[in-house]
Amino acid sequence: MVTFLGRRLLWAAVTLVIYLTLVFFFVQWWVPIDFSSQFAIGGGQAEAAERLGLDRPLPVRYFEYMGSLLSGDLGDSLSGGSVGEMIAEAAPLTILVFAVGAVIAYVVGELLGRIAAWRRGTASGSFVSLLGVLSATVFPPFLVFVLVRYMRQPMVSLRNLLGLPSDSLAIWRESRVEQDEVLALLALALLGAVIGGLVVRAYAHRHRIRWLALAAFPVNLAAAIATLFAVGVGAEAIDLLYRVDYSTSIGSGSPVLVLLGVVLLSFGQVLFMMRVGIEDESDEYYVLSARAKGLSEREVRDVHVARNALIPTLAASFLALPTLLAGMVIVEFELEVHGLSTLFFEAVEVQDIPLMMGVLVVLGLLGVALRLATDLVIAHLDPRQRKAAV
Amino acid sequence: MRRWRQVRRNPKIVTGVAILGLFVLVIVANPLLWATVWDGQERLYDPVIGFDHMIIHPSAPSGAHWLGTDSLGRDVTSMFTLAARSSVTVAVAAALVSGVVSLCLGSLAAYHRKWVDAVVTHTSDAMVLLPALLAVWVVGLGRPDASFGALQVGAVFGLVYGLGPATAAVRAAGLVVMARPFVEAARLVGAGGYWTMSRHLWPHLVPHAAVQAMIGVTGAIVAEAFLNFRSAVGGGIGFGYLVYEGLTWQEMLAGLRDIPWWVLLTGTLGITMLAAAFYLIGIGLREVFDPRGVRTRRRRVSAS
Repeated sequence: MVTFLGRRLLWAAVTLVIYLTLVFFFVQWWVPIDFSSQFAIGGGQAEAAERLGLDRPLPVRYFEYMGSLLSGDLGDSLSGGSVGEMIAEAAPLTILVFAVGAVIAYVVGELLGRIAAWRRGTASGSFVSLLGVLSATVFPPFLVFVLVRYMRQPMVSLRNLLGLPSDSLAIWRESRVEQDEVLALLALALLGAVIGGLVVRAYAHRHRIRWLALAAFPVNLAAAIATLFAVGVGAEAIDLLYRVDYSTSIGSGSPVLVLLGVVLLSFGQVLFMMRVGIEDESDEYYVLSARAKGLSEREVRDVHVARNALIPTLAASFLALPTLLAGMVIVEFELEVHGLSTLFFEAVEVQDIPLMMGVLVVLGLLGVALRLATDLVIAHLDPRQRKAAV
Repeated sequence: MRRWRQVRRNPKIVTGVAILGLFVLVIVANPLLWATVWDGQERLYDPVIGFDHMIIHPSAPSGAHWLGTDSLGRDVTSMFTLAARSSVTVAVAAALVSGVVSLCLGSLAAYHRKWVDAVVTHTSDAMVLLPALLAVWVVGLGRPDASFGALQVGAVFGLVYGLGPATAAVRAAGLVVMARPFVEAARLVGAGGYWTMSRHLWPHLVPHAAVQAMIGVTGAIVAEAFLNFRSAVGGGIGFGYLVYEGLTWQEMLAGLRDIPWWVLLTGTLGITMLAAAFYLIGIGLREVFDPRGVRTRRRRVSAS
């Protein structure tokens, strides 16, 4: 396992360097227009280019950039501030929402994928498949519009039910805690709920307790919210998740809507991967012998087929990552939540290359980390993979 | 020919192709309508400057305007039939570029192994990390003229997607084909690289590249529609622009009047149906050709 880990880490480092190189030259070459002109405040364009270090040859800038990256410095944004700080401010929310959303989407997609595969040919199976296709092809801004328009009333009712004032300002005026602290607590609670949900679900699957497997996630999420209320930051946390400000713009800046959007946009892809996996596995001899042994269809599906189908599903879901990320980015941007997507699009709009690079670097780091985690899970599930060539 | 029959009988592929056929009809309908129904009525039906003085806009679907008019008084049917052309252009460009790139690189890597394989695998592993939408946005923004239109969006998307996930998948399938006995036999009789690839590798890999291309196209259509929605590139009339038109009306007059659903739904259904057509063909082909490529040959046991 140690050599496997070492090999994967080496792979991650090499991939990351290649990714950064490709992205660096891609951005430098393909960003249109000579962007130094925008920052020529006071002096001329040549002076601005010199101040920003844009007059030196590309290879020199490349090695400088990679060198400063090694020391963890993302450089300065063309508009002034430090890129690292801007990203550190925006990234936590994005990562939190994406991580929680992806896990929920995975759980939902896997469940629906089983149903679609096992009931193929029936009306309910086709309906589930149709949902999957819709999830994979819906236009994200339209989804955002639907979410904003139709989730408003339920969300406000939920807030009223929990006894929150309908005005966000009122909550924060009386509150004694900082927004950052609440966000950190919220992140901790949500991540705890998701990990707890996964663990409980795995336990329930192993011991074949069906109701527990289904209840694992809702109960854990409810427990997390209850904990926040017990600590005394419940109102603030809920307000961070869903804001009520009466802006008329399309977005309303609510992370919980981003979360919903991510889940709705992503589960379809997981569904089809799981479905293909299950359908492939169902032709195997071990399924025949499991049936011959007299196991019920549900046991054959959940205990034998679904577990084997999990490995190709996990491996394939990594290739779907860019598509999933794209949907997430659009949803976050359209909902005007202050996150990495908003930062990136602002950077592209003013052609702020260091900021653009900064966001892409973070995306690359996250992607590689995710890939490593997936590989470890696969290696744990399937010992053959540890020996396989990298 | 067994595969061909499977393809023809796969309900997903049939549905997808049927929807695509509908879109081709829509594209063909545009010049036909101009030649017949709208002949000489540019003032009413022009997709950019058309305006009907006789009614209040936006107006619901009617006899004169089959899909209604938008808030600026333009005929939605005319806009829709024009928009279909650019979306289908994006789709075809992205599919062709990503298909060709992934087929070439994937088969080269699988055939040559060693350093060629190392280079291709590492490049595709790295490119998987870059969402093609962001790449298109970086290239396209700031080029608001027609020089970065549907064709270019499709090409850039296809390139990034093709180098990334598509190549990774095709290469994996290629390795499986390379292990089959007929490749060994071809080598034994002294077949060269090009011969082996063109006669033995490509026929097996084309469906796999097609699956990847079809699923990638889904993303390309959404990406182009999104850029069009933000009017970031080209500035032409596309499905995304229709969605934008539908939504901004609501923003302007929030609460006073409901949004023009016919504009919004025409745009969003156009995107979703076109994307769904390609997606259905993609997953249908995947079902037929089993491109996971994990196993070479399996004895089929009939499932109940």
